[in-house]
Amino acid sequence: MADPYLRIRNLSKRFGEFTALDDVSIDIHQGEFVCFLGPSGCGKTTLLRAISGLDIQTHGTVEQNGRDISALPPAKRDFGIVFQSYALFQNLTVARNIAYGLENRKQPKAAIQQRVKDLLELIGLPDSGHKYPSQLSGGQQQRVALARALAISPGLLLLDEPLSALDAKVRVYLRDEIKALQRRLGITTIMITHDQEEAISMADRIVVMRDGRIEQVGTPLEIYHQPASLFVAEFIGAMNLLPATLVRQGEIQLGQTRLACKINGFAAGAAVHAAVRPEDVVCTGRTNGHANSFQAEVQDMEFMGPFFWLSLGGGELGEHRLRAQVSSQQARELDLQLRDAMHLHIPAEHIRLFPNGYPHG
Amino acid sequence: MAEAVTPPRIRPHLGRDEWLMGGGLLVLALYLAVTLLIPLVIMLAKSLEDRQGVFVGLSNFAQYFSNPARSGAVGNSLWVSALATLIVIALAFGYAYALTRSCIPFQGLFRLVAMAPLLAPSLLSAIALIYLFGNQGIFKGWLFGESIYGPIGIVIGSVFWTFPHALIILITALSSADARLYEASESLGATRWRTFITVTLPGARYGLISATFVVFTLVITDFGVPKVIGGQFNMLATDIYKQVVGQQNFQMGAVVSLILLLPAVLAFFVERWAQTRQSSAVSSRAVHYQPKPRPGRDWALLGLVSVVAMLILGILGMAAFASLAKLWPYNLSLTLSHYDFSNADGGSWTSYGNSIRLALYTAFFGSLIVFAGAYLVEKSRVAQPLRTATHLLALIPMAVPGMVLGLAYIFFFNAPGNPLNFLYGSMTILVLATIAHFYTVSHLTALTALKQLDPEFESVSASLKTPFYRTFWRVTTPMCLPAILDIGIYFFINAMTTVSAVVFLYSPDTTLASVAVLNMDDAGDTAPAAAMAMLIVLTAGVVRLLHTGLSHWLHRHTQAWRR
Ligand SMILES: Nc1ncnc2c1ncn2[C@@H]1O[C@H](COP(=O)(O)OP(=O)(O)OP(=O)(O)O)[C@@H](O)[C@H]1O
Ligand SMILES: [Mg+2]
Repeated sequence: MADPYLRIRNLSKRFGEFTALDDVSIDIHQGEFVCFLGPSGCGKTTLLRAISGLDIQTHGTVEQNGRDISALPPAKRDFGIVFQSYALFQNLTVARNIAYGLENRKQPKAAIQQRVKDLLELIGLPDSGHKYPSQLSGGQQQRVALARALAISPGLLLLDEPLSALDAKVRVYLRDEIKALQRRLGITTIMITHDQEEAISMADRIVVMRDGRIEQVGTPLEIYHQPASLFVAEFIGAMNLLPATLVRQGEIQLGQTRLACKINGFAAGAAVHAAVRPEDVVCTGRTNGHANSFQAEVQDMEFMGPFFWLSLGGGELGEHRLRAQVSSQQARELDLQLRDAMHLHIPAEHIRLFPNGYPHG
Repeated sequence: MAEAVTPPRIRPHLGRDEWLMGGGLLVLALYLAVTLLIPLVIMLAKSLEDRQGVFVGLSNFAQYFSNPARSGAVGNSLWVSALATLIVIALAFGYAYALTRSCIPFQGLFRLVAMAPLLAPSLLSAIALIYLFGNQGIFKGWLFGESIYGPIGIVIGSVFWTFPHALIILITALSSADARLYEASESLGATRWRTFITVTLPGARYGLISATFVVFTLVITDFGVPKVIGGQFNMLATDIYKQVVGQQNFQMGAVVSLILLLPAVLAFFVERWAQTRQSSAVSSRAVHYQPKPRPGRDWALLGLVSVVAMLILGILGMAAFASLAKLWPYNLSLTLSHYDFSNADGGSWTSYGNSIRLALYTAFFGSLIVFAGAYLVEKSRVAQPLRTATHLLALIPMAVPGMVLGLAYIFFFNAPGNPLNFLYGSMTILVLATIAHFYTVSHLTALTALKQLDPEFESVSASLKTPFYRTFWRVTTPMCLPAILDIGIYFFINAMTTVSAVVFLYSPDTTLASVAVLNMDDAGDTAPAAAMAMLIVLTAGVVRLLHTGLSHWLHRHTQAWRR
């Protein structure tokens, strides 16, 4: 594989006694779209500000394109940045905002004007150049901020929660816009978000962070289907976590039933958490016809439109509660009713085991 | 791979921006040290020396307090200031209440009248009082044989000129009321009086505390009023003047200064505390309170407000008339001859010209230094300890009475070995002193404006490889222009009206209008003194009008991008 575009090694950042980043290392490749994902206060912004030089780390190195930029001030680095607040210059028109980084570079006026025009086209606001930021909607302002950052053709684009100040509809729309733009320009991009859906739909790779450390790095599919820890399993998507015991390699005792599962390298007899996604629970009907299945009662059902949330318990599950997702169509075929006793099947490869003892995964 | 070793600590490289910002901060810190901190420290040291400059410990203080004729000034200052404060707060609270919580007519006019004393030197009220109640005053009989020359005059005069200061704070405190609390109180069936006691007063308590301490400090450190109308009544501020100008006893002046510094410093800390409490008490979700008409309350408040406004106008009008009457009280025909000053002792049109120059220089350089300084303190990415230190330095002037600052300047700049000695007696030293004297309020105004800007402007600018000073000039300054104008006008008007710091520092070449009022009054030329005071009021008024016009124009002009 080619050398990474951005090589981050053993990065730590302390604020006095408090450690905001603890020994973080990541490689980011040319043209990649990477999302930093994690709960509030986990250090995403701190990491981004270290990469940009706006708040330099206490330890560790950052290399961009083979150049060691660890200690350089932001003006000596090569990046564009967009903040949650947009930070548009209110007293300058949209065109002046976009031209701001160009005007400093002694380019001919005509070239600047042409570049601004192109960028306005690019973000779909060709006629808004003369307006002031306050005359635009939030989503439009966000796109202007993006154009301003892209104007100087940076090698790296940094986005700190660019969409979180917008309402849901605009957000989904801009998500696609930004992703398409990034593909078209091929610019290496890091985006911070604490919205997992956003990360999953946009990123080539996701960096899941917790308490200043990296929990897992992987593609959205890897993160979703092969969470490396209980924390990631819980944080991304909906997840059932059921206390179980490993009776022998590849088989767990869950309530009164035994289920085959993936082998995660625990000793037999260990108390574990079995993690199962609600959509991986298959409702097979009122009679048993499957291996790796058990019987339980539908204790609650919530209609969500395309699917039902089922809350299962009793039967062979005993005291355990299991949430399952059943499509509306299947529920209709089965004539699913509250208090029905159902047989449920979970494919062995969709049961993952984690050590007992939350929160340390 | 072997056990990972801790990588070495990163030492950030400094770019041009960082060097410039750090350098700017350093220059600012040095500037504040030279024009503020070092003079004060030297004065502190002087209070521990005898006239020959030998260290004598606290013996100057012992000497001061063993002389009851002198130390009586402490008690006098305290009770006179307390009394004046009590009256001002009571009146200003009623006035502010009427302007924010009632439906009286002409609120704008009443507000305007109440602010008028800000345009005048504090001496003006004292001169007007002499005309009204002095030896030849028309209302002399109203005092039942008491003399206006003394505590009575000082209290009334102080009430006049500190009234708007209290009013501004109390209006702010009362207008931040949350209507929801009133609705709740009403729905619980509370009486109006109970609502007032349980909702209104607690809501305004930090404002009341803040106003009380501000007014107390203003009165106790004021020198103009007691100097003109105090007669033989001894107060701390006049005592410093007497020690220094009268007896050339600088060490004793320093001793009294330090004593005067105590209440001012105390007031400073209480006021800061109250300010932070006040602002954190205002919830962003508060619903603006809209008073409903209630004839009983409104008529009573209208009465109060009218009386106070009449008194203010009366005092101003008296001063104006005094400056125009041929020979009070014998010949009341009008003349402009008192504005000639050529026969008056201690003042001239040159003084007026000097004052205008001082005010212009102070406004220009003051707003420049203060705004650039506040920017560096608030926005620079470097030298955190230096930023904190500079900010603290900028807060000092609020706790330092003008007299004390003036005396400290004498000690520092007049010291024979000081390379800055050449400034002594120049216009420059007056400008430096006036900027230093009024630094804190301006600094805080600038900080407030800067804090309202997006904190990431500087980050964006750095990411676009644009030097910070370019963004400062093209974005920060235009966006803060209204605040910068406010700072400029604040410096201008205070430079026109101030007496306390500059009274120690002017030279025959740099006499000032406000000081001329003092000296002419001292020499018995009261009518020209009133004329000079009126000139100051008129100038300040005109400048204030210009400022209002300019602000409106600016607001309209920039409406396109202001929300
Ligand atoms: N200047 C600072 N001084 C002290 N602590 C700080 C500073 N900046 C950040 N922190 C702390 O470092 C931790 C990480 O902060 P950071 O802003 O990186 O979180 P984040 O992941 O971006 O969170 P969010 O999703 O809320 O933006 C937090 O606990 C925060 O309180
Ligand atoms: Mg953040």
